[in-house]
Amino acid sequence: MKRLPITILAATALLGTFFTGCNRGDESGSKLTVGVSMLSMQNEFIVNVSDEMEKKAKELGVELVVVDAERSALKQVEQIESFVAQQVDAIIMNPCEVEASSPAVTRALAANIPIINVNSETKTQPTAFVGSDDVESARIAMRYIAERLGGRGNVIMIHGYMGQAAQLKREQGAREILQNYPGLKLIAHQSGEWDRSKSMSLMENWIQSYGGQINAVFAQNDEMGMGAVKALTAAGLKDKVVVVSIDAIPDALDAVKKGTLDATVFQNAEQQGARAVETALKAAKGEAFDKQVLIPFELVTKENVAQYLK
Amino acid sequence: MKSTLTDKVPLRRIGQYGIFLALVLICLVLALITPKFLTVPNLTIIVTQVSINALLAFGVTFVIITGGIDLSLGSMVAVTGVVAASFAHPDTYPLVVPLAMGLLAGVLIGAFNGFVITKSKVPPFIVTLGTMTIGRGLALILSKGRPISNLSDTFNFIGGGKVLGVPFPILVLVVAFVSCSVILRKTVLGRYMYAVGGNEQAARASGIDVSKVKMWVYTLSGGLAALAGIVLTSRITTGQPNAGVGFELNAIAAAIIGGTSTSGGTGTMAGTLIGALLIGVISNGLDLLNVTSYYQQVAMGVIIIGAVVLDSFNRTSAS
Repeated sequence: MKRLPITILAATALLGTFFTGCNRGDESGSKLTVGVSMLSMQNEFIVNVSDEMEKKAKELGVELVVVDAERSALKQVEQIESFVAQQVDAIIMNPCEVEASSPAVTRALAANIPIINVNSETKTQPTAFVGSDDVESARIAMRYIAERLGGRGNVIMIHGYMGQAAQLKREQGAREILQNYPGLKLIAHQSGEWDRSKSMSLMENWIQSYGGQINAVFAQNDEMGMGAVKALTAAGLKDKVVVVSIDAIPDALDAVKKGTLDATVFQNAEQQGARAVETALKAAKGEAFDKQVLIPFELVTKENVAQYLK
Repeated sequence: MKSTLTDKVPLRRIGQYGIFLALVLICLVLALITPKFLTVPNLTIIVTQVSINALLAFGVTFVIITGGIDLSLGSMVAVTGVVAASFAHPDTYPLVVPLAMGLLAGVLIGAFNGFVITKSKVPPFIVTLGTMTIGRGLALILSKGRPISNLSDTFNFIGGGKVLGVPFPILVLVVAFVSCSVILRKTVLGRYMYAVGGNEQAARASGIDVSKVKMWVYTLSGGLAALAGIVLTSRITTGQPNAGVGFELNAIAAAIIGGTSTSGGTGTMAGTLIGALLIGVISNGLDLLNVTSYYQQVAMGVIIIGAVVLDSFNRTSAS
């Protein structure tokens, strides 16, 4: 679906070079075009960021061409290469990998096209970065657990896909806080592969081996947090276990409102999407812009959940 | 035809016995290492967790017996789950609507597989690989890339409810197992499946409508995948467009561990069920023992290969 616009754009760009080779300059007053390559349109948060970009682009009168890299860094690099070939005015990339997506940044910069990384980073420095620091999100979540447990208790951590940037950073942040609280003991940790049903099964098995010893669960995303909540509720243990996860997807916000999920960490898709488009536009026009736009995370609990529910 | 079929039966039984022994052996070892393993709640959880994979594995057993393969299972789980969830919001439709729509989606995709395979002679591997991608795309289109939540309590009962203390997915599993076993062992269609997989030319020569048999197995596979999709959706109380990625591999593994030959013509539902249980027990056991993710993947692979090697060793020593 998402590939159709790019094909059309590629075709028009090609035709453009043939028939109206010097027309580009005349169009300088009209719409700017920004090429966008997203990590995966199968991920709800990423879809939200993309939707917010479209909204902002419409508001600012920018033409946005969004393509889906389907989690493949190779594909992403190729997409950026075709954006370069089409001579878009700026590129926004939501990188698949820290290392493997870096060549895309190099290609864009070599062609003098500003490239803005959104949501996650690449090793090669882009024109600007708009996003949040994943390590901090896990610190916020684990700090909340530490407070709720009074610094003492047994904690379980459910990882995302092992080795992915988000998993590594969220683990790092969680472990930093655990080190500050010697009373908190990490009794088990395992990958739930970002998946609700996988994480639910994992939690069911842990309930069998640890039962009442579990005091808190930190899941690295809401999908897995919801899976843990389901398993704990079915076992009649939810009231005794604090569950915290990250992302603040609508389902998780509902659960926080109902009190089944204790807290989630809000990553601001709207701000990330909007600021990325704004920064891309400024860079394309040669105006001043911030090289690093950090959008803060926010802890969502029952007390403040109302303001996040739309 | 008849003679080769009966010749294979005792061999199959022994093979199945071997894999059953492997399952018992692993259970014994786990029971000795951790007291948490051999308890009624834990065993109940294992069977509940296994039910989704087993439903898919039953379907793919039909397919593999005829010499085919179905790679679209995981995607069908997502599509059928999303379709069922779309009709399962509270106070909208009665429970039969999401169930019927989900099943219909699975049956249609399965029939599509069967239709293309029989009409085009393109290998099932390629056709179902295509359907796998189509299915994933459809699930994302229908759900607009977002999970469909807020499902009714009656719908959520299928995956989370209990009848007389028995989780509902286990009841679904039992009914599906009995039905599939009957289809395979007691019906003409079942006998034809073995015949087609054993020797397609001979089956055709003896007057069997091979295309019809194939249409049936892929449609059955789609229907069972829909059942799995509905159970999964109800269990996690959301229709997830990205659910079921890679599920086909576990289902195929369960069938093959259970003695279904990839070259067609052999296989039983009991064997497949044991294969699915074996995978479920290993995964549960490794979690109980708190084996880290990296080692779990290696251990799972080693144990699966070990079980099948033990099985083939048993078969050769028997013959």
